[in-house]
Amino acid sequence: MAAKTQTLEGAPTLPMTEAAYLPGVAYDEMFTPQGDVRRHYDPLHARMSTLGAEELAGRQRTLERSFLLQGITFTVYGAENTTERIIPTDLFPRIIPAAEWSKIEAGLTQRLQALNLFLADIYGDQQILMDGVVPRELVLGAPSYRREMQHLYVPHKAYANVCGSDLIRQQNGEFAVLEDNLRVPSGVSYMLANRDAAKRTFPGTYRAAGVRPVERYPDLLLSTLKSMAAGWRAEPQVVVLTPGVYNSAYYEHAYLARLMGVPLVEGRDLVVHENMVHMRTTTGLRRVDVIYRRVDDDFIDPLTFRRDSSLGAAGLFNAYRAGNVVICNAPGTGVADDKAVYAYVPDIIRYYLDQDPILPNIETFLCREPRQLQHVLGNLDKYVVKAVGASGGYGMLVGPHASQKERDDFAKAIKADPENYIAQPTIQLSTAPCLIDGRIEPRHVDLRPFILSGEKTIVTPGALTRVALKRGSLVVNSSQGGGSKDTWVLAEENGHAHGNGVGQGSARS
Amino acid sequence: MMLARVADSLYWLGRYIERAEHLSRLSSVMLNATLDQTESGAQAVLIALAAVGEPGDGAGVASYEAARALVLNRQDPNSVVSSLARARENARQVRDQITTEAWERLNLLYLKVTDPQAGKEFKDASSTFLHDVIADLHLFKGAADTTMSHGESWRFMMLGIHMERAQLVSRLLEVCFAKTPADRQVDDHVALVSVLRMACALEPYLRVYTAEIEPRHILEFLVFDEDFPRSIRFATAQIEQHLAALARRVSAGERAGPERLAGRLKARLEYADVDELEAVGAGPLLTTVVNECARIHEAIYETFVAYPLEMRLPA
Repeated sequence: MAAKTQTLEGAPTLPMTEAAYLPGVAYDEMFTPQGDVRRHYDPLHARMSTLGAEELAGRQRTLERSFLLQGITFTVYGAENTTERIIPTDLFPRIIPAAEWSKIEAGLTQRLQALNLFLADIYGDQQILMDGVVPRELVLGAPSYRREMQHLYVPHKAYANVCGSDLIRQQNGEFAVLEDNLRVPSGVSYMLANRDAAKRTFPGTYRAAGVRPVERYPDLLLSTLKSMAAGWRAEPQVVVLTPGVYNSAYYEHAYLARLMGVPLVEGRDLVVHENMVHMRTTTGLRRVDVIYRRVDDDFIDPLTFRRDSSLGAAGLFNAYRAGNVVICNAPGTGVADDKAVYAYVPDIIRYYLDQDPILPNIETFLCREPRQLQHVLGNLDKYVVKAVGASGGYGMLVGPHASQKERDDFAKAIKADPENYIAQPTIQLSTAPCLIDGRIEPRHVDLRPFILSGEKTIVTPGALTRVALKRGSLVVNSSQGGGSKDTWVLAEENGHAHGNGVGQGSARS
Repeated sequence: MMLARVADSLYWLGRYIERAEHLSRLSSVMLNATLDQTESGAQAVLIALAAVGEPGDGAGVASYEAARALVLNRQDPNSVVSSLARARENARQVRDQITTEAWERLNLLYLKVTDPQAGKEFKDASSTFLHDVIADLHLFKGAADTTMSHGESWRFMMLGIHMERAQLVSRLLEVCFAKTPADRQVDDHVALVSVLRMACALEPYLRVYTAEIEPRHILEFLVFDEDFPRSIRFATAQIEQHLAALARRVSAGERAGPERLAGRLKARLEYADVDELEAVGAGPLLTTVVNECARIHEAIYETFVAYPLEMRLPA
């Protein structure tokens, strides 16, 4: 077969881009500021350079088609109509060397352990509030604080069993935590689907790189969930509770249920009788012990929380209080990933674990503090301001990119309700190479690893890398035009960086 | 062990799959019949339209438009595209219960018929389009058969397929043969061949009766044949078999469960014969089949899906 010589001629760093790959000021995952390829990217870079534009476009199409075929889609609300779309997926994996990963792993484990202790404390004796480490009204006044959870026994003090933290890599190359997601984090099915796709797109490169596997996630999740009921049931019946087929993450709910081999239930399938939870099966009622719920707190039980909810089951919370069923994540975990509480997480880690945080926070200003508020209002063009209760990239001002009018309007909103806002400096997320309209270009990415916590705390060696597909954009949320790509965590430092495709598998795992 | 709601979705998945296949075949035969500008062709078109419940007035039936609407009209809940959309919606509801292999077949087909290009493809080559839809549905059934466990999930889906099939074939035969002897029955050779094609029965029929196309033989074959998968008797036997297997898992009360109703219908068809049909006309038996299917359908709900909770509370 004739080589596509035009793409190899002259051989600049990335031939097919005609040297147009301009990372800009942000940290680039593949290139050093001097334009050299980082060592852990060598095999992928070499492979990219041998593939022509058409070949890459073909692989991209195959990839997208396979996602569509599998129904790996999500629902976009708003605009004129609600449609089902595949989350755009980029075919180049993002690669993280072993040493960097071990720091991330240690940092996330530490953080989740501290946050679970924090939750156990504030829903228990509230020692941390009495010691004045976190302002009492900040916690008890938060809408996500659930009085109903007070003094309720949670096995292993594991309130947040599934956590998906958002990390970003700062300009200096260090990872920092942008957000903790302790409620019902999603995206893990994309991590698994992206891996599946990457193995088919770059099989040789994958094999040579020595990538740690993520495929065990479903069975680790199942054993985490089972560990929550192990004390009182030998073979606990686990179910996944979904709001239903119209939920934007429905694919993921069905995917996890299928791979764990447990029933996917909706609220209407559940019946609570004498404080026991049952599901309606074709052969009668059957006891349920652990509910991995993908329904928000507000909706799990119309008797305890929102009365107009039809997504949960009446009486579920009482059954939980009675200790006859476990709800995962526990209700009320949202208070610990509140954007205002976030600012105190480093203190929380020190308080419970007597350790310095391994992963830093992003500098955060609380508008509830008058002095910080004045500072934020005076520098709106420099900051990203977020509403404390909002998520998914809504209710947010990106100061440097906003118009004067947008900033003025937002300033009014902040002054009207300062407690509801925090501000952070605009952070340049790192960039990674992506295939955009047939060219390889840098795009900003973040990193969402998934941490499981039950009897043990486990960080899956992989993550969802979210991509802001618009040039220069920093918003990676899928509801705002973000995409994703596979994330390769290498088993060994520079393990096979210079191996030219020798077919040994992952060195150790 | 399976959720009641899931059983319901699988049952309807089966029904919609079968409906989509039947409608595609009717449309295909109908379009083919119009190629002959004859009385027989027009008769075949009328049969097809009547079988789907469209009141054809016989005068200048624009069968291309009729077929197109039958296949691609999303506003019509009984079109092929609507049936496929519902089948896929049900499959999505129980995505954890069906294999990826089976799901992909159905999803692919759904994407094809809902594609903006589908209208053009149908216009350019309607027979190829319909042929492919039917072939894709066969692929789905094949994938389900070879990749799914033949347990409860699969049985509920097969139950739906055969319930739908028994009713659709009954309806088709009613349209052609249920009239009293005074009415003019279908006897034209071309029209009769079309009827056999609509039931996907031509080739199997020829192997049994050779090319003697007689209404009496067609009735015998489509109602009583023991081995032909689209005969009413065959479908009824399947319904009975799946229900018997499913009902074994339910701690039976004193109810007359759906399996007993199905067993009775099956026996009725086993011991009737075509002479009896000729004596009184096919009407009464076909009506019985349709009514009994409706009762079985209700009994399935009462037993497996919408049962009263008091009866099933744990002791």
